[in-house]
Amino acid sequence: MEERLLKISEAAEILGVSIDTLRRWDESGKLTAIKKEGGTHRYYREKDVEIFASDLLRFASDWISQGAEFPGTFYCPTSAVFQARLVKMERMLMEKPGFEKLYSLIVLVAGEIGDNSFAHNLGNWPDTPGIFFGYDIVKGIIVLADRGLGILETLRRVRPGLSTHVKAVEVAFTEFLSGRAPEKRGNGLKLVREVILANPIDLFFTSGDAEVRLKGADKLFRVTRGPNIVRGCMAKINF
Amino acid sequence: MKVKLEKFGTTLISRELGSEAFKAFQPKLVALPPDEELEIDFSGVLTLSPSWADEFLSPLLERLGERLALLSSDNLSVQATLKILQEANKRQFKFSPR
Repeated sequence: MEERLLKISEAAEILGVSIDTLRRWDESGKLTAIKKEGGTHRYYREKDVEIFASDLLRFASDWISQGAEFPGTFYCPTSAVFQARLVKMERMLMEKPGFEKLYSLIVLVAGEIGDNSFAHNLGNWPDTPGIFFGYDIVKGIIVLADRGLGILETLRRVRPGLSTHVKAVEVAFTEFLSGRAPEKRGNGLKLVREVILANPIDLFFTSGDAEVRLKGADKLFRVTRGPNIVRGCMAKINF
Repeated sequence: MKVKLEKFGTTLISRELGSEAFKAFQPKLVALPPDEELEIDFSGVLTLSPSWADEFLSPLLERLGERLALLSSDNLSVQATLKILQEANKRQFKFSPR
């Protein structure tokens, strides 16, 4: 059976990007189009578009490292958009077998990480405001990212002595910070750490060159220095 | 007086919306008789985050102390959030049986 081919306008709509972006992606090889014999029009295999759209971590990581464009369906320019999309994800998670109770902790983790991006960068976004928020409930993955100031710079407002990304991320995940500081800091990441440690949820979090990997049954909280410096913050949650 | 938190929404996540909810609640808080408890009912809430709760429950705890009574909830996010708020505020919430 011949696979149905999508027109460029259909692929653009599915991915939430412009036709010009798809043309650019084709020329650069990021998402290659098919041209029918002798024709100039671009077509896409439905499966190719689906696979391309499922690589959430690559979209998020290319966006924060190079400012690369990604499908608009994953973009939350404001916290109101994020809230609405989070509620949609919550409904889907509640229906996933085995997640009837656990769903609320996964939404809490994703909600805290996403809300932190907005709360700590409000009025201070270096360029693009908002966050990347993509998820695949069937595969059990959520990816969040922002091109904000990152943990070190935002935490320095209340802890001027902090000098490394690793130390800043450690403080963010482990210490209670004063609410009387110039910027109101929550205790969200502390709870994120506790929830991840006690439940079948894995987390990869990075900001600057600091990395947190909480994975598997014997999770241990440790902040390490990674090979790359990441702009803002990026998180991958697996469940 | 009993307050059902779900009146403020069922997915209570952001610090900003927690702060808005607290402001919206002011008239009722002012009207609470000095000898009456304020009971917080979590039923219907799907997800409660520490950021939202820190803007709403922490100031209530500070203002009302023993007069703030929480109804117990079997929702995991509510339980986890209340636990961390107690640690952050270095103060225990009072729970009433449902």
